[in-house]
Amino acid sequence: MKFKLKIKGKEFEVEILEEGEDRVKIKVGEKEFIFGTEEEKKGVSLIQTSIPKRDFSKKEIKAPIAGVISEIFVKEGDFVKREQKIFFLSTMKMENEIISDFDGKAKEILVKKNQEVKEGETLIVLE
Amino acid sequence: MQDPEFKIKNFKKISSTNQKAKELALRGTVPWTVIVAEKQIAGYGKEKVPWFSPQGGLYFSIILPKSKIEDLQTLTIISAFIIAKAIKDNFSLEVLIKLPNDVLLNRKKVAGVLTENVIGKDVKLSVLGIGLNTNIEKFPKELEDKATSLKIELGKEVDNENLLQKIVKELKEQLKTISE
Repeated sequence: MKFKLKIKGKEFEVEILEEGEDRVKIKVGEKEFIFGTEEEKKGVSLIQTSIPKRDFSKKEIKAPIAGVISEIFVKEGDFVKREQKIFFLSTMKMENEIISDFDGKAKEILVKKNQEVKEGETLIVLE
Repeated sequence: MQDPEFKIKNFKKISSTNQKAKELALRGTVPWTVIVAEKQIAGYGKEKVPWFSPQGGLYFSIILPKSKIEDLQTLTIISAFIIAKAIKDNFSLEVLIKLPNDVLLNRKKVAGVLTENVIGKDVKLSVLGIGLNTNIEKFPKELEDKATSLKIELGKEVDNENLLQKIVKELKEQLKTISE
């Protein structure tokens, strides 16, 4: 059985060479492909890796300076926009408004009000 | 005459000079713009503690250039020294600094400094606010033991404009020194 498949404007000639109970052999252009129960699994995993990777690296906001968290403006689960005010961090000499570097959902707030934090300590994780 | 090294914006009445300075900085007002108010309705110090700000005092905030956080910390401490020195040099009064932010005369508060930053990936904006009790004649009962003014201590009025110029000029000079 032969048929033509058009994908994104490009035409492929597909021929089904074998069609068994758990195995199908097809020919696309000059290349042959076999799909079976096992091959399917491989196929799936291949497809998954070929999807453009989303950036799952952690979006963390860290304390730029040591101080005390004097106010928290978001709750876990809130959607936070870039440049939105998240914390007030008071130091001996200054009041600091900490704004978000990213858009994202507040996954984990790692500090409490009036908690002392060290420089570089992670305050919130967004996703 | 205004010093060309900084620009002064005068307000008769304002909620808070720091608040105004932050607003203006966000809208792109250039560093070394100084917001001066004759009185503040909602002046505040550290941890939003109200700062008594009636007519007669000197209340101002400076939009600072983007600097490293460590430099801003240093500048905040230095500003208390600059204010203290200005008072000592101009009026020969014995001044004490209560680190890091307050200046005392006769064991009562005469000036306070509050630096506020907005920080994202880096420092987005910084303002340094100063409240200086210059020509305040009387404080409310609850503050009488804690606050004083130059007028109360000297028995005469002082020139706010002159003090402002001296302090801002000196701050600019100092920031240059610590940032370079």
